[in-house]
Amino acid sequence: MTFVIDTTLADGAKSCIMPSTRTILWATTLLSALVFLGMTVDSLRKMGARTHADQLSAQVVEGKWVWQHYDCNDCHTILGIGGYYAPDVTKSYAIRGDAWLRQFLKEPGKMYPTGRQMPNFHLAEAQIDSLVAYLKWVSEVDTNGWPPAPQGAARAESPGTKIFLAQHCNTCHSIRGSGGTLAPDLSREGSRQTKDWILVQINDPRSHKPDSIMPSFKRLPDSDKEDLADYLASLK
Amino acid sequence: MRYKSQKIAREYFLAALALFLLQVIFGILGSIKYVWGYDPLLNVIPFNVARAIHINLLVFWLLLALMGATYYMVADEIKTEIYSVKLARLQLAILLVSGVTAIVGYLFRWSFGMPFLEQPTAIKLAIVVAALIFLANVALTMFTNHHTLTRTTATLLGGMVMLSVMFLFGIPFMPNLSTQYYFWWWVIHLWVEGAWELIAASLVGWALIKVTGVSRQRIEGWVFAEVCLVLLTGIIGTGHHYYWIGTPQYWLWWGAIFSAAEPIPIMMMLVDTVRHMIKARTLPIVNTLGLAWLGASGFVHFMGAGVWGFGQTFPQINRWTHGTQITASHGHFAFWGAYGMLAIALMYIILPEISGHNTEQGSKLGFTAFVSLNFSMIFLVMALLIAGIVQVYLQRVMGMDFLEAQNYLRIWFEVRLVTGCIFLVGTVLVLWDLFRLARTLPAGECAPELDPEAVPVA
Repeated sequence: MTFVIDTTLADGAKSCIMPSTRTILWATTLLSALVFLGMTVDSLRKMGARTHADQLSAQVVEGKWVWQHYDCNDCHTILGIGGYYAPDVTKSYAIRGDAWLRQFLKEPGKMYPTGRQMPNFHLAEAQIDSLVAYLKWVSEVDTNGWPPAPQGAARAESPGTKIFLAQHCNTCHSIRGSGGTLAPDLSREGSRQTKDWILVQINDPRSHKPDSIMPSFKRLPDSDKEDLADYLASLK
Repeated sequence: MRYKSQKIAREYFLAALALFLLQVIFGILGSIKYVWGYDPLLNVIPFNVARAIHINLLVFWLLLALMGATYYMVADEIKTEIYSVKLARLQLAILLVSGVTAIVGYLFRWSFGMPFLEQPTAIKLAIVVAALIFLANVALTMFTNHHTLTRTTATLLGGMVMLSVMFLFGIPFMPNLSTQYYFWWWVIHLWVEGAWELIAASLVGWALIKVTGVSRQRIEGWVFAEVCLVLLTGIIGTGHHYYWIGTPQYWLWWGAIFSAAEPIPIMMMLVDTVRHMIKARTLPIVNTLGLAWLGASGFVHFMGAGVWGFGQTFPQINRWTHGTQITASHGHFAFWGAYGMLAIALMYIILPEISGHNTEQGSKLGFTAFVSLNFSMIFLVMALLIAGIVQVYLQRVMGMDFLEAQNYLRIWFEVRLVTGCIFLVGTVLVLWDLFRLARTLPAGECAPELDPEAVPVA
């Protein structure tokens, strides 16, 4: 018996897919599946080196489980996959560093007092250790250059500017016309206050004004607070 | 409806529709969180839980709808009763109980923590049991008493087997995240670009034979060619997910070339569906609303999966767009078009046959639902696309901090919330209409049975 698949084209002309075409379709599909399996074997062999699999210590694997247990991946992306609600963490370790991550994981609300929030999961010290170890391991995976380095002006900004924006200071304060109006304009802060005064304000706003509604940013790493104060003191 | 046991499809559909409504509600909860400055539900239902529930419900309701349609279609094609209605009911119960347990569990942080596959391992195993019952029941229906297998049913069974086998790769915990994601895509990509496409192609083929009266031989020929092309492009096309996850560089080439061809079979399905629908005009009785959903599904499937997917499939573009709201736009558009709309189309075709309703005109309510659902989804997808483009520019190109950039997207998240609410209204309307169609009419009021294969179209 012959397999003839009868298809009629829109213009009414008849075209027949003869057994050979049918066999070719089957064969190429099967072949593609085999090629895919072969590439999988090869990829898995090469991924050991690309991901530094030898550094997958018990602590790193424990960190992966902490990451999964708290379902972090449904807000954050990792390797660009997951929820788009919170920042990608692939390079978090490289960008933020050890100290920042630890402080953030302990009290995320205090690091970002305004805007979109991460719940405080009340992680144990050991969980934070392993999660940070895991993020360090992830940041070293060879991702073929992803994410790409930004091309725009923002990359040339001082570290203090980045902290100012990352902490959403501009929700309340404005600098040169950009930002909120709830708190004083900081465009010329450097000509009004010293760097030391600014540092005190960052750590304990109420020491200057007892009824201040500004949250304390004491929890930021010292280096971040220094950078932020340097930046604000430079605005004259 | 020829066989009593086909009625089981109705139970699957009603369960699916209830979950669909819940899915939309949790989707709106998630989109509110994008707009809220401060989230009062932060410690009750945080965003990750809302998202996990939203997507799990999506998968559950679509699976239930496709399984229900499969039972109906297999009996119809093989011309026999389903092997065991009791098993089908048991399977439905297992799926519902495990699905609801998973969703409640997320609220209490009982989670496996891989996106879409958050179900804890115990629940995944229960799902495997349900899948095995389903496969056994369908296979026994097909192969006992020497019934002749049609090509459409064979494709459907193939899709269901592939679906079940691929799910297994999502179960183990792998220490290496890159390996975990390598096989995670075997579930996610090889489901939507493989198994589910086979299921969709065969169900669309069956529905076309039924609703349009175009000859079986002609439609099955197309289904076969489409299915081969889906697999040919889709399997190696998985490579477009292997660009940036610690996989070798050669995937940039293989993934790009094969996935760029993925829209071809989808386009064929669209052309095919439209061509056959035009033929349906010559039929004496036409299921207007069922046909409208089927045709629109073909179109949105092509736009959402084909065009939106193609738009960011090349690594030169994907490098910038990967993991942004553009992906969210693509996900909503593709799932709605390829599977959500198809499920609703199948319900519009199958439910009236079970209950004996007249389908010729389609109700006003049904058309209002059709219009509000589809238009709101198109605007929703556009809002997310614009948000995504702005996000790529500010965050990836200019280097702005993630949360800072999100502030500039707020207007588009607000548009998305509004369109989501309109979509919810449409969901309630379509549920209303379908529940109406599901109610069995007394024998005297039943519309005459439509048997397109008895009315050949020249």
